[in-house]
Amino acid sequence: MTDVQRIRNFCIIAHIDHGKSTLADRLLDATQALSKRERRAQFLDKMDLERERGITIKAQTVRLRHRARDGEEYILNLIDTPGHVDFSYEVSRALQACEGALLVIDAVQGIEAQTLANAYLAIDAGLEIIPVINKIDLPTADPDKVAQEIEDVIGLDSADALQVSAKEGKGIEALLQAIIDKIPPPAGDLSAPSRGLIFDSWFDPYVGVVMLGRIFDGKLEVGDSIRMMETDIERDIQTLHVIDPHPRKVSSLAAGEVGMIVAGIKTLTEVRIGDTITHAKNGAAEPLPGFVAVKPMVFSGLYPVEAEDYEDLKTALQKLQLNDASLVYEPETSAALGFGFRCGFLGFLHSEIVQERLEREYDLNLISTAPTVRYRVISQDGESFEIESPAALPDASAIKRIEEPMILATIHVPPEYVGPVLGLCQERRGTQRDMAHHGSRVQVRYELPLSEVVFDFHDKIKSVTRGYGSFDYDLLDYRQAPLVKLDVLVNGDPIDALSLIVHKDAAFHRGTELVRKLKEFIPRQMFEVALQAAIGSKVIARTTVKALRKNVTAKCYGGDISRKRKLLEKQKAGKKRMKRVGNVEIPQEAFLAALKLGDS
Amino acid sequence: MSDDSVGVYVHVPFCERVCPYCDFAVVAARRLSPDQEQGYVDALLSELERRAESYAGRRLASLYLGGGTPSLLRPASVARIIRRVHETFDAAGSVEVTLEANPGSLERQRLPGFRAAGVNRISMGVQSFSDITLKRLGRAHRAAEARLALAAAREAGFDQLSLDLILAAPGQALEAFERDLEEAVAFGPEHVSLYELSIEPGTPFALADARGQLRRPNETGVLAMLEQAEHRLAAAGYARYELSNFARPGFEAVHNRRYWERRPVLGLGVGAVSSDPPSARAPFGVRRQNTRDLARYLDCTGRAESAEDRDAEIFDAATARGEAVFLALRTARGLDSARFSDEFGSPPRGFWEASIDELVGRGLLEEAPGGDLCLTDRGRLLSDSVFQYFV
Repeated sequence: MTDVQRIRNFCIIAHIDHGKSTLADRLLDATQALSKRERRAQFLDKMDLERERGITIKAQTVRLRHRARDGEEYILNLIDTPGHVDFSYEVSRALQACEGALLVIDAVQGIEAQTLANAYLAIDAGLEIIPVINKIDLPTADPDKVAQEIEDVIGLDSADALQVSAKEGKGIEALLQAIIDKIPPPAGDLSAPSRGLIFDSWFDPYVGVVMLGRIFDGKLEVGDSIRMMETDIERDIQTLHVIDPHPRKVSSLAAGEVGMIVAGIKTLTEVRIGDTITHAKNGAAEPLPGFVAVKPMVFSGLYPVEAEDYEDLKTALQKLQLNDASLVYEPETSAALGFGFRCGFLGFLHSEIVQERLEREYDLNLISTAPTVRYRVISQDGESFEIESPAALPDASAIKRIEEPMILATIHVPPEYVGPVLGLCQERRGTQRDMAHHGSRVQVRYELPLSEVVFDFHDKIKSVTRGYGSFDYDLLDYRQAPLVKLDVLVNGDPIDALSLIVHKDAAFHRGTELVRKLKEFIPRQMFEVALQAAIGSKVIARTTVKALRKNVTAKCYGGDISRKRKLLEKQKAGKKRMKRVGNVEIPQEAFLAALKLGDS
Repeated sequence: MSDDSVGVYVHVPFCERVCPYCDFAVVAARRLSPDQEQGYVDALLSELERRAESYAGRRLASLYLGGGTPSLLRPASVARIIRRVHETFDAAGSVEVTLEANPGSLERQRLPGFRAAGVNRISMGVQSFSDITLKRLGRAHRAAEARLALAAAREAGFDQLSLDLILAAPGQALEAFERDLEEAVAFGPEHVSLYELSIEPGTPFALADARGQLRRPNETGVLAMLEQAEHRLAAAGYARYELSNFARPGFEAVHNRRYWERRPVLGLGVGAVSSDPPSARAPFGVRRQNTRDLARYLDCTGRAESAEDRDAEIFDAATARGEAVFLALRTARGLDSARFSDEFGSPPRGFWEASIDELVGRGLLEEAPGGDLCLTDRGRLLSDSVFQYFV
């Protein structure tokens, strides 16, 4: 067992692309964690290694050894944190497992929205923060300006900031020493009842659920009976590992240490990020603070384009959930799209990632309905309930009011792009909270309805700022808004999948756009097709797809027949990929186009 | 498909010039040299000899010389072909022998020779009686030649004349098309084939069309032409017995009907397609196409290796069923439910219950009490949409 005084638990936090992975790799190099052969490839590409070892490593969490200037060998646990805004809770749990954080800032870009969001999370978690100005090798690097930003924006003493070039390996030795000098060793009581924080978990096909934990009090040993305090599940520890940098079995993990715990748990839903692990007998009375059950924020229906792929989609979702417990789903039936699933995601990026993985890794062709948020409905008789699907909205006459979730958006942008950003936020029903100049950047904070950012807000921010804007958000509260349900009807039949809950002022525009877009993509059929947008029984927009009048092949003799038949088969296959609403065939592109309209 | 007859198709790939909308297997040959001609006919006859075995015992119902421009062959060559086919197969009553002819002056002189060679039906590629339309179509002949050629055919003793007309040609107005119809009716052929110009990928017309240079009549215009044609031809005693074909009673094309009824056809020559009769190995028949490459085709002459095995398509029941329906529905007679049932073990409703109900309900398909099916007037206009339900 290592002396707790010679353990340092830390993480690296950064805005995307500010060099977090490269810096991690450099730390591995400097501590000779990898053999020369391994060093040749970027360590991040560890698929082969995973296969060789028979156990997967999801996070980049790794245990390093470093001989400090005092001649002692220290254990440095580098704890990985998830990389994007939808996972701020997971980030906060990972931070809680540390005593310190390296805040990496690009010497050219300076502080960005995520830098700040992560820095605040780290400050809230009580971590010792070491600012690291990276990429000083770049010709346009301006470390002094960035140092000033660190003082002005975050309020950290820039005298502590280290200047490094992860790419060239400059300043790494000094950084390692700073980690040892500045970050405090873990506190914790070895003799107290054991408590460990689960800050990550994943499903491993060989051993089941692997938990990544930080031990705060006491000691866990192989064979111990443990209890998950939140889910109240009891299991025996089968194996314990440290990752240095490959998983290595150990017999125990004691207060202050970080490692992997395997305890025969078969599904990820039994393990909650932020849960506390303790001994089944004589366990801790109180769990570690800060557990929050992660709740999905954004919902959409996922449907297979081919009805027969339903079972495949179900299997794929099950498999995906093994590695992503924050994904929730339940069966849903749409008159227009058939059998599918209503899925809940942490945020819109998360929903995009899930859909992309389903399509790419599981080779599924999916239709996704417009993402929606969880609305709170207060009925005339005073009852309050939440809905996650426009279809679940009761008749307008039964509703007293509807409330929608609000967010506080933090946007960082160079001054010349402030105008377009404000314009965009206003368009999305935003209310400005404040605006502050920090050196060469402007920080704009807006209160916005979550529903207004679930479509393409992030992309729009990027495009109106030519990529220089960055965006992060926190959930605020629920507020009343004049919202209505907008339906789209095809020959009188509603396409439930296209129903939307929208602000009443936007309904006419959205309705008109929806039917216009649909018309573009619905091929002429053997009869006329009426497209309508309606609020309740009131039609607010209408257009018509004229009937097909002629579809004949003139010649069909010996040499033409096979070719002709193949053409018919091809057309039929194209039709089969369409969805039938009533008796109208609607191609997938029509749904996609209508759903993509978003807030444009 | 119990049938003991055979039709023979002979493809003659040569054309004086290649039309800009054509995607058949053709070779431009302004003058066909005697050597070239003899070489090709030799190859045809050797192919006939080689392949007749798969059709052994069948009786000849029709012989069709198509192309290309078969009228570029000298009458002596045509006679050789006809004679050899007759020697190979016994006749099933009177045999329809059709030759496709271009209305050029060269061909005109040959018509008596073709008649003497045993041709008894001429299909004249008139296309239009308007010089402007013919020019726009890139045709070599002019209206005056067409008139002379038709008269010459009658004079040569042909009492079965078919005339091809084109509709929806570039720049063609309804009035121009009506004049074509009038002149065709006035001449009084036994048979009229009416083809809407179709734009085939890879042809010069496809390129021009993609650039918007073709000035084709719009849908409304084409519909008006179709309506006018049906009306005018019906008034003159021609029944629309197939989507693109009209005939006086008793003059329906024997050979072409074989395709819609899925009866065996032995196809000879470059790019020719055959429908082999069912066999133990292929209970629903085989369709095969010869190479479209003339040099390769000639190369195969006299060798054991055959030119035709390349694209053999052995039908499974489902494919055969689909073809049976859409080919039969092209004809006015429609789909014979009993004959279908004999071949596939169940009437059409056994396979397409819901589709038939839907199409009947939409007024596109008509169902006789015995289960026979045919297209309605509207169904004929939307036939490809209907056929998709069955393939």
